[in-house]
Amino acid sequence: MVLLSIVAGLWIATKRIDYTWRWERIPQYFAYHSEDVKTINFDGHVTKIDKKGDLTTVTVKNDIGGETSSFVIDTKTANISVDEYLMEGDTVGSTREWKAGPLAHGLWVTLWISAVASVIGLVIGVITGLCRVSQNLTLRQLSITYIEIIRGTPLLVQLFIFYFFLGTVLNIGRLPSGIGALGIFAGAYVAEIIRAGIQSIPKGQMEAARSLGMNVPQAMVYIILPQAFKRTLPPLAGQFISLIKDSSLVSVIAITDLTKSGREVITSTFAVFEIWFVVAFLYLILTFTLSQVVAWVERRLAVSD
Amino acid sequence: MIKTVDLEKIFVVRDQVVRAVDGITTHIKSGEVVVVIGPSGSGKSTYLRCLNGLETLTAGHVHIDGVDLANRKTDMNKVRAEVGMVFQQFNLFPHKTVLENLVLAQMKVRKRSRKEAEIKGRALLEKVGIPEKEANYPSQLSGGQQQRVAIARALAMDPKVMLFDEPTSALDPEMVGEVLEVMKQLAREGMTMVVVTHEMGFAREVADRVLFMDYGKLVEEGTPEHFFDEPKEERAKLFLRQVL
Repeated sequence: MVLLSIVAGLWIATKRIDYTWRWERIPQYFAYHSEDVKTINFDGHVTKIDKKGDLTTVTVKNDIGGETSSFVIDTKTANISVDEYLMEGDTVGSTREWKAGPLAHGLWVTLWISAVASVIGLVIGVITGLCRVSQNLTLRQLSITYIEIIRGTPLLVQLFIFYFFLGTVLNIGRLPSGIGALGIFAGAYVAEIIRAGIQSIPKGQMEAARSLGMNVPQAMVYIILPQAFKRTLPPLAGQFISLIKDSSLVSVIAITDLTKSGREVITSTFAVFEIWFVVAFLYLILTFTLSQVVAWVERRLAVSD
Repeated sequence: MIKTVDLEKIFVVRDQVVRAVDGITTHIKSGEVVVVIGPSGSGKSTYLRCLNGLETLTAGHVHIDGVDLANRKTDMNKVRAEVGMVFQQFNLFPHKTVLENLVLAQMKVRKRSRKEAEIKGRALLEKVGIPEKEANYPSQLSGGQQQRVAIARALAMDPKVMLFDEPTSALDPEMVGEVLEVMKQLAREGMTMVVVTHEMGFAREVADRVLFMDYGKLVEEGTPEHFFDEPKEERAKLFLRQVL
């Protein structure tokens, strides 16, 4: 009821500013039917036309060299006949196929940037989290410094530093610097989550493992971390959902992710409202899928409760 | 088997010095069942934890089979593999099934094959009387069953000594018996055991020797008959009057 009235209110408001909704123009930016025109690059005669259902194979013989080439085209576009003379640059026919539009491409880029950055973030986070609880003072101080620096500066600024400073000095491209900045950013938060998880496991677990003769790494790997992981799954899921959303910032260093694709489509359609709604919805699909997957893993791990 | 010489463990908590274990010298022979009793805060548990290196020693020595735990070069993990420990809070691994609890350390520390470890694990579950629970998780077991699994887990490593840290204190009264029964059986089989407990009946029945501790010091030491019937020290007499 509340939602309905909000939607109705917004609808009336947009009516009053004379906005023309053009939802029908959106789908073509997901996928479109592209035509691939096949042209010939020599003068020659058509020697054979072989129709097989929707596809037709046309064989053309070169007048000068005598060698033949064949072209596969859609039957519908085949309006040439055997022995017809074709000059260089003439069209033999064409094929049509579905191609991903900018929005689909942007979605894909966002998905894999987030996925790679998550893996990097998790690896850095687990290592830093372990250093954070280690007995070694140097490791502990290093991890605290890293966490404080990353948590204390805006991601946007980190992206610029990564891209303009590190990217130039170390000569790395925009994609690696974007992914690296996201991964290192997430790592600091994951580290604190992992540390909290490790510290929430009762001391007795480590003592029991050690009393059985396991060394510290064994106890960590087989006893503490699996339990800590289970406990930290909800905050970790939140962190990775944040990461997917934060990945929209990489558009400022000209990575064509979902947000940047959306902006590009707007420049050619002026369908500002529609595109941003669609982009928001696509982010929602990604994050919702992730939270469902995590909920499923949580249920799986709950068997031992 | 176990020799402690002038064993000392001092905790410093907010500038307060606590002498949890204060110069204990004793010798526990192979096959002997030693029960450590004393009022709470007397350092019994800390003493026990020193015996397998869960606490670092402040001073003194613990020799287990001739290996000195105070020596920095001693491989603690090797020592601990030979010294089984049972905790008050069971400390089973909650994310692993009962059988996995028994198998894990056998495979990782003793380097046994999974098959070998499972055979050993099942035999021990049989011994502690819960073979049907091998596929359950610890949370699905009663306290008494969990503690019996914990004993089986320690035994799976074929330890030379078993340490029990108040194994029945966290149990409901009706489950104390089943755990004590398993411990009595172990004692009959000749296992060397050091038991910290408040179960005076168990001490009287099973112990070869009783150590009475107070304020980190070994106050009285002797056979159960001597300790329960004619204690010499005033502190021990007072304690016994309160608990019996």
